[in-house]
Amino acid sequence: MDYLHRRPDVAGRGEAFRRPDGRLFLSIDTWDDAGFALLAADMLPALPRPLYTVVDEADTDLRSRWESAGFTTRRREWEYLVPTAPGTVPVLPDVTVGPPSDELALRSLDDAIRAEVSSTVGWPEMPAEILPRPDVLDLTKYVVAESGGDYVGLVRLAAVTRQPRIGLLAVRAGRQRRGIGRALLTYVLDALHRNGVPAASAEVNEANPAAVALFEGAGARRVGSNLELVLR
Amino acid sequence: MANNTGGIEVEGTVVECLRNATFRVELENGHKVLAHISGKIRKNFIKILPFDRVLVELSPYDLNRGRILFRYRT
Repeated sequence: MDYLHRRPDVAGRGEAFRRPDGRLFLSIDTWDDAGFALLAADMLPALPRPLYTVVDEADTDLRSRWESAGFTTRRREWEYLVPTAPGTVPVLPDVTVGPPSDELALRSLDDAIRAEVSSTVGWPEMPAEILPRPDVLDLTKYVVAESGGDYVGLVRLAAVTRQPRIGLLAVRAGRQRRGIGRALLTYVLDALHRNGVPAASAEVNEANPAAVALFEGAGARRVGSNLELVLR
Repeated sequence: MANNTGGIEVEGTVVECLRNATFRVELENGHKVLAHISGKIRKNFIKILPFDRVLVELSPYDLNRGRILFRYRT
């Protein structure tokens, strides 16, 4: 945590965290509008701009509090529930999909994908949270697409027992639009199904039509949405 | 247990996901409260599902309301 603020006359707290992508995210937890306004009035002048926060779109009270403090909607992420199902991974020329065996190659792919995202849309445009990379990647959380001896795409699953979460699905820039993403997703959903897991969750930026089409094509249904708000 | 913002923290189990991003949580004493999720949980995109064990801070103004501070690994 980078910043914590309390007042003796308010039951609650305000906190600010800088995420690995460099952006400063706020949270203010109070029990009423007046307490929120007091903490916001203290905190906002003291913090650099831009400031970000995330609200559940269904939480209209909280969204209204942030908007009263000057925040505006920057983007929406759809929250999907993706049913698992038995599936046959599409046959792609020169591409195989499966669990990774080479941590160094997986790290190299992760480096390459991070660099491509940074030089194109940037991490602030990616859905959900940005995770700092651990020192050693856990191979059991990944499925990769391999071509010509190189890893060219990956899926990372968050290890949540009852409802796994698809944390990242990415394909190298030069290998996109060839069905690799669909093959990775099919593999993961089939594997989860065989392990008795009925569904996984995923967040998708609504401004990414290819990702929306990929998940909805797999039968995913929208179960909620999160708004990222910004104060510039 | 009272925390440093005056709220009482108790453990419970999520029994229902409701509209408006609220959850019905059954506390260890059998009492049920309506709870929102805290800003920290929201910022970290932690999903709350029925049967999750959670730590809830009760409102000092209304003991039927609370805020989910933490989800235990199950």
